[in-house]
Amino acid sequence: MYLVADINVEICAAKSCKLCTQYCPEANTILYSDEMGKDKGFKYGSAYVAVDRCKGCAQCVWVCDNMAKNNAIKMIMIDQLPNAALTDNIIYGEKSTTVALAAPVVG
Amino acid sequence: MSLDYVKFTPGFEKFMPKEYRDMVDHGPFGKKTTVSQMGSFKEVMEEHPMCAGCAMTLFIRLAVIAFPNPEDTITVGTAGCGRLAISQAAIPFVYGNYGDQNGVASGLSRGLRLRFGDKPKDVVVMAGDGGTADIGFQQVVHSWFRHERFTTIMLDNEVYGNTGGQESGMTSRGAVLKMAPLGKKFDKMDMVGLAKLAGCAYVATVVPNNPRRVESVIKKAVLVAREVGSSYIQAYTSCNIEYAIPTDKVMEDAKTVENDRYAFSEYISDEAKEYLAERYGYKEYLPKPAAAVAALADKA
Repeated sequence: MYLVADINVEICAAKSCKLCTQYCPEANTILYSDEMGKDKGFKYGSAYVAVDRCKGCAQCVWVCDNMAKNNAIKMIMIDQLPNAALTDNIIYGEKSTTVALAAPVVG
Repeated sequence: MSLDYVKFTPGFEKFMPKEYRDMVDHGPFGKKTTVSQMGSFKEVMEEHPMCAGCAMTLFIRLAVIAFPNPEDTITVGTAGCGRLAISQAAIPFVYGNYGDQNGVASGLSRGLRLRFGDKPKDVVVMAGDGGTADIGFQQVVHSWFRHERFTTIMLDNEVYGNTGGQESGMTSRGAVLKMAPLGKKFDKMDMVGLAKLAGCAYVATVVPNNPRRVESVIKKAVLVAREVGSSYIQAYTSCNIEYAIPTDKVMEDAKTVENDRYAFSEYISDEAKEYLAERYGYKEYLPKPAAAVAALADKA
């Protein structure tokens, strides 16, 4: 089992600073969706992690805690994720991406 | 070297991997993409085998996004960690023998100018501190003295990262490494000073803890190299393995080093300023009206 980053949609959608998308060393791993969080009544969208690309370095956690001061990202074991975004389920749009959430990779 | 090279051969689209289809349909080719849009478009760079949390990877990712015309760019690299990520981008990558990347780039940029004339084709060299300041030193400095029109970027991790941690010319004095257990006895080389002395038109030092600054520096360097002369960027990209930096503290280390020895600096020659202002609309480099200059002088 290994750790991956998990973004709390409720905190992220309230702030929507997008800093983590700019500091992740992996390409197309932390993505941004305009839709995410709208169903919970938030004005902005949220960032999310494509867990199959996340190498678990936790740089986004430091950036979220210390630069953005939002504390929205936690590292959790991949089998503890209720559901996850996978690269195959990501749909690119004009201004943001959307994702169909799937059961996370286990093992 | 044109928008056509990424497009699908008719009838083959359905056989291409999802990542490739996304890149053609939602990639940055032919559009202007910026760092603030990251996370919403398919990047040119793909998955790569570099270590988790590597600051060099972050810098390369930002650099590739910052290229003014990714479809008209060729990257040149050499042995070192950086090439593992640079070669995973959908941009033609030339792998020079160790140390001859600036020689290869000189020929390449001259050849492209002969073949394509005024149509800008950018050549960007990205090599490590060993490839640039030690083994490639002669070719690097000679290309600057010849005012070859391409960009040289040093990915300075201050160590030979993937051969076990030997000291390089760019390692700081006193640094103790696995293969330099007594500590380095000499100072860090002043490559920025050398670049200015050799007549580079644009010279900058940058740390990747400010993505927008990285973007702006790379854009200017590539644009200046189109017509004015050589440009050089020295980027601090820590090696979290050899310097034993916990991966979640990489940006904290970048901040510390920025304050210690890697403060942002930018040198632009007068000719390059004029070129950027006139050709690409950089208002900050427009010549100040005589009245304003006189007023400033009065204040001083």
